[in-house]
Amino acid sequence: MIDTPRRITLEDWDARYAELRAAGLREPAYGGPLRRHLDDGDLRLARLLYDNSAASLRLWNFLLTEEERLRQARAEGKKLIGTMKDLGTVPVMAYSLPNVVAFYPDGAWWLPCVMEMSTGMLEVADSLGIDEAFCPVRAMLGAFLTEAHFPIPDLLTCSVGATCDDFSAIAQRLEALGYPILWWEAPSRRRPDPGEAAVSLPGGFAAPQAQVDFVRSELERLRGALETLAAARLDDARLAAGIRAANRVRRLLAELRRLAYTAEPCPLPALEMLIAEMLAIHFCSDRAESLLVFEDLLRETRRRVDAGQGVLPPGAARVFWVNPVADLRVMNLLESCGGRICGTEYLFCHALDEIPEDLPPMEALARMALADPMVGPAADRAERICSDIRAFGAEGVIVSRIPGASHCATEGAVIADVVASSLGLPVVEIEVPPLSDSMQPTLSTRLTALVEVIREGRTE
Amino acid sequence: MTPAVLYSCSFVPPEWIAAHGVRPWRTLPASGPASAWLAADMGLCPYARAFAEEARASGAEGLIVSTLCDQMRRVAELLARDSPRPVFLMHLPTTWQSAASRAYYLDELRRLGRLLVQLGGAAPSDERLAAVMLRYDAVRAALRALRGRVSPKRFSEALAEFHATGALTAHAPSAAPPPQGVPIALLGAPMLRNHFWLFDLIEEAGGHVALDATDSGERTLPAPFAADRLRADPLRVLAEAYFGQIPHAFRRPNDALYQWLRRELARSGARGLIVRRYVWCDTWHAEVARLREWAPVPVLDLDVNVDGDAEGRAANRIQAFIEAIQ
Repeated sequence: MIDTPRRITLEDWDARYAELRAAGLREPAYGGPLRRHLDDGDLRLARLLYDNSAASLRLWNFLLTEEERLRQARAEGKKLIGTMKDLGTVPVMAYSLPNVVAFYPDGAWWLPCVMEMSTGMLEVADSLGIDEAFCPVRAMLGAFLTEAHFPIPDLLTCSVGATCDDFSAIAQRLEALGYPILWWEAPSRRRPDPGEAAVSLPGGFAAPQAQVDFVRSELERLRGALETLAAARLDDARLAAGIRAANRVRRLLAELRRLAYTAEPCPLPALEMLIAEMLAIHFCSDRAESLLVFEDLLRETRRRVDAGQGVLPPGAARVFWVNPVADLRVMNLLESCGGRICGTEYLFCHALDEIPEDLPPMEALARMALADPMVGPAADRAERICSDIRAFGAEGVIVSRIPGASHCATEGAVIADVVASSLGLPVVEIEVPPLSDSMQPTLSTRLTALVEVIREGRTE
Repeated sequence: MTPAVLYSCSFVPPEWIAAHGVRPWRTLPASGPASAWLAADMGLCPYARAFAEEARASGAEGLIVSTLCDQMRRVAELLARDSPRPVFLMHLPTTWQSAASRAYYLDELRRLGRLLVQLGGAAPSDERLAAVMLRYDAVRAALRALRGRVSPKRFSEALAEFHATGALTAHAPSAAPPPQGVPIALLGAPMLRNHFWLFDLIEEAGGHVALDATDSGERTLPAPFAADRLRADPLRVLAEAYFGQIPHAFRRPNDALYQWLRRELARSGARGLIVRRYVWCDTWHAEVARLREWAPVPVLDLDVNVDGDAEGRAANRIQAFIEAIQ
């Protein structure tokens, strides 16, 4: 069997799967050929390019079987909690309890892409007055109303305050439709005033202790709700164990990012890395299994790095990517234009940083929640981006606007200013809708332009 | 000269600013031609853009921006970067049912107080704050009394004047003719200073604004202060009247808005509801469909941009709406 890393189509995966099976591939219960997901309606899969490793196959299968996992958890009597707009905090608390599974209903924003608009999710949102002026996460409304993509959770939480207006508004619409929500407040992070008690947050920012105390009190409300839901105590010992388990996942992902974003040639494609990063937010509804998925990916990536192998030709333009894309295919497009990902900020860098283990658990979680790039100024976010660009050695930046997202109106220019003035790197802004096929020539032109500028910069 | 602070949020109490010896200047910005400053900021709501332009050019000594909406929160950041004036970003809790949220609002007022002192003000005694609160309360009572006794447009302009100056210059004529036409409730985002033509359009179409429930209208006036507790803890009473009472679409949950609206629609006798929202304002946009399902009267969704044909387009839609419900 040839184990050369490369990007392959879904067609290619049929043969590749047979090859791997013949070579003795052992898969978890959710394993199988990728094509079955296409047959189930995930039409976008036919247009993507994939990494050809068994580890990536496992990653995709894990991602695309989340719904079955949630239904299975419910059948087993576990409690389901939907953690909306919360990128990485409440899931850590929820998974500290033995009989609770947390998931991320906002993840439905990818359904219109993955199912190529065949789901009717956006049409449901339209019918509820949440039209295309809103972020594609509006697909979540359709997912709730049709119950076709995840079971209705036993508890629904939503972080509001310093969050984007579209999500807050969509969640309010959802509540008004009869889905009770436990709202919790994330205050707008500010710099401590002179003389004010301050603490360091994961990721390096400082915040007033008073803000951390407030967030901790909000998380205490959530702890109470989780305990009631689970009929079990969520004491500090359990939370500390949950934090340690989350950190194991985060450490694996950190090492995976370091290798994938710095090794030459690029050992793992942008698309698989995007999926991997997303898993860290809520463990794709199975924390223990997500750990194994990461271990597999890391093992494969290390093997490739040690062998000097990559999925892209050496010399690809090193690009830092800001914001997640609604259309997964655009990650392929960057690579087809001669670029590769060397660093990302998909709006949840705080969920990648390790949670402090030397603090009382609720204090540690509060600090992590307040480190969310969305709750602070865009200039803070830009600083973090600059720091990561230096660490990963990116040569240019793509700011990918999310259609309709309230934060995207101004933050792209702020980030571009800071990156250009601090690092002198080129920045290109694009906007990616859930299906970008009709825009591919434009997107391709802009991505290629950035790649060319980067390459010209190398020769000067 | 008394320093001034410019702001636009209805949850910022002018009493607190005035009690510090600083002039509260709550503006209704006017839309104007787009400047190069914000040219790259596509998708910025017209109101946030207008406020940003006005705040940057204003002669105020300080700027206050609240987190009532994400776009304004981010405008604060642009102003802090590009304006020489101090910018105070006030976190306005979206949740309101917990004691912690109420305490957070109170703490934000105290933090604002420290900025006001830095700008040349002085921390007020409880007596001084209570006196200023009573003065504002009295003007607001006089303002409320104008409703129905001056034209709807004049009433809403008087509200805007009060917000900007703290004073009331409009007076009720001794025998005001009752407003003519179909009573309409106006709900939604704050007006722009140069958009009061909307009232004229409604009247020309055969209606009149019987309830100005926009963010700049009477909905966002605080409740009268609790006189029995005013002397003992005026700041807490102030916080309760603003944070505890003003109904708004941005709050989570925002059921209090609907409770208020049900009561006021009945009181005003409105037979139609016009939801005036800015393009890119998610908060009000998302409420339109719910309002349609909920409201006992027909609802018109009026999206507003700042382009030149806004008035003409709005005129047609309002005319058709009022014609249909007449």
